[in-house]
Amino acid sequence: MSELYFKRPMPHGGKLVERVITDKKIAKKFVDSLKRTGKSFEIKPTLHYKRGVPVRNVYREIMSVCYGFFSPVEGSMTSAELESVLSKRRLLSGWIFPYPILFDISKEDYQKLGVTEGDRLLLTLKGRPFAILDIEEIYEIDPEELANRTFGTPETNPEVVREKFDDKHPGWVIYRSHQPIILAGKYTIINEPVFRPPFDRFWCPPRRCREEFEKRGWRTVIAHQTRNVPHVGHEHLMKNAAYTGDVEPCHGILVNAIIGVKRRGDYPDEAILEAHEAVNKYGYIKPERHMVTFTLWDMRYGNPLESLLHGIIRQNMGCTHHMFGRDHAAVGEYYDPFATQILWLKGIPSYGFDQPVNLVDGGLTIRPQNMREFLYCPVCKEMVYNDTCGHKKNWQKLSGSLIRGLVAEGVQPPVIIMRPEVFKVVVKWWKKFNYPFVNEKYVMIKEEELEVDIPELD
Amino acid sequence: MEYIIEVFLDEYRLNKLKGTPVESQIDAVFGGELKVVRVKVGEEVKGEVLKAFETARIDSRACITDTPVAFKRAVFDEIAKQKSLNEDVVKAVLARINEIKDLAAKESEFLPAPEIETD
Repeated sequence: MSELYFKRPMPHGGKLVERVITDKKIAKKFVDSLKRTGKSFEIKPTLHYKRGVPVRNVYREIMSVCYGFFSPVEGSMTSAELESVLSKRRLLSGWIFPYPILFDISKEDYQKLGVTEGDRLLLTLKGRPFAILDIEEIYEIDPEELANRTFGTPETNPEVVREKFDDKHPGWVIYRSHQPIILAGKYTIINEPVFRPPFDRFWCPPRRCREEFEKRGWRTVIAHQTRNVPHVGHEHLMKNAAYTGDVEPCHGILVNAIIGVKRRGDYPDEAILEAHEAVNKYGYIKPERHMVTFTLWDMRYGNPLESLLHGIIRQNMGCTHHMFGRDHAAVGEYYDPFATQILWLKGIPSYGFDQPVNLVDGGLTIRPQNMREFLYCPVCKEMVYNDTCGHKKNWQKLSGSLIRGLVAEGVQPPVIIMRPEVFKVVVKWWKKFNYPFVNEKYVMIKEEELEVDIPELD
Repeated sequence: MEYIIEVFLDEYRLNKLKGTPVESQIDAVFGGELKVVRVKVGEEVKGEVLKAFETARIDSRACITDTPVAFKRAVFDEIAKQKSLNEDVVKAVLARINEIKDLAAKESEFLPAPEIETD
């Protein structure tokens, strides 16, 4: 029987990256020695290359690298690693990885800093020591070329890219807004940030997450990616996708929200986390089987590429399965709506995958659970799966956008499409921010406050 | 391709459409819990709406969504005025787009939350 059981997957790359110094005395020594050299840099948000509003904060990437979410990535990529990721979606070690991870600074900052290869740079956040960067290489990029090559074009990636990426695509904007000088090297966090409420109770980095699965006796766990408050369609996706497993349905459902700068019209991060929590708090999926966590990342909305990153993160967290739906982590019509499914079922040769990403060398071991759509069927009088229900012409599609439209007009969505407790969470944060969705004001407040505070080292 | 702008109807809006030719085109969706009318538009009008509003997007149902509330209100007012669900309704709204953009700009700072009890 035991040969039928799935084992918890190894972290991507073989071992979890953990680059966090927790001993305050050691951290203090680092800071003192770095203060003598005077080489320190205050982390600033990346600003939109045209409009000047925040679109990213590299601190989130440093957190996700150092706590192992992005294992085996250990820092800001060298030029050779960047080229390898852009041309083959692989690190130099051969492990697959979809996106450039870079520590970028302006030419002016570079001149002021006066750093060279081999230097150690103290990174401060909110004016306090946060991390160090051991500089292995310094090089220059062309941000527009970086943005174009990161996502591809209809000509270079005809299998899945439908439209040329432009400044309406938030992920393209993030890379286009990178500063031109890259400091490449490993990051180490020397002063652990403290999460603010409500983020504090959902923070569960990979090692702790794996321990939690052990504690709960979860052999099989299916991951649910989210950047949204859950409607009943999401709930059905989670419940039904979780019927997969090995000899029995998955023991656990791990909701892992992506927390960071989002596009206007998405829900505030605080509402996303608490709304998912409401799903288990009010018993729609019992808490013994459902756990809500997050990863810090300014979403790139790269559909198949983003799904690859999601697979890596959740494999590192210890999940055996990952559910993927239609338009996974997508925005607009840049990609085929099922580009993620194509990647995981057939592969996308132009991105470097001539086979599904589980079958290529350096690939993932987390299993995809590719799902189509859940809709409301007025004949069945319930939410149905499109590959099951035969009343196609009667279907009523449920989308996050439809619900956002109702919410904005102050119409409480019917219980058949959003749980009342979930709507209450939306309204709770709406009252706090005077707006139900992410707007410019929210982004400005959020990027100033961030999700964390930095403690004093003394 | 055809795109759809959905306008949801509460009691007030239902009354405004009572007795008009639009009344017979009102749909009930999600088990009858929501009433809606749909305006169909072509590529050109869809493009103009997406250009006008940064948040606007096309969802999986080919609906133009995430437009400002001011735009949706204007579309409804125009439907009630023209007593029609023709594309001309949206064209008439686009003709006064600057006025709607001004309203939308204010609305992007503040929307009143519904008066329901929260934790």
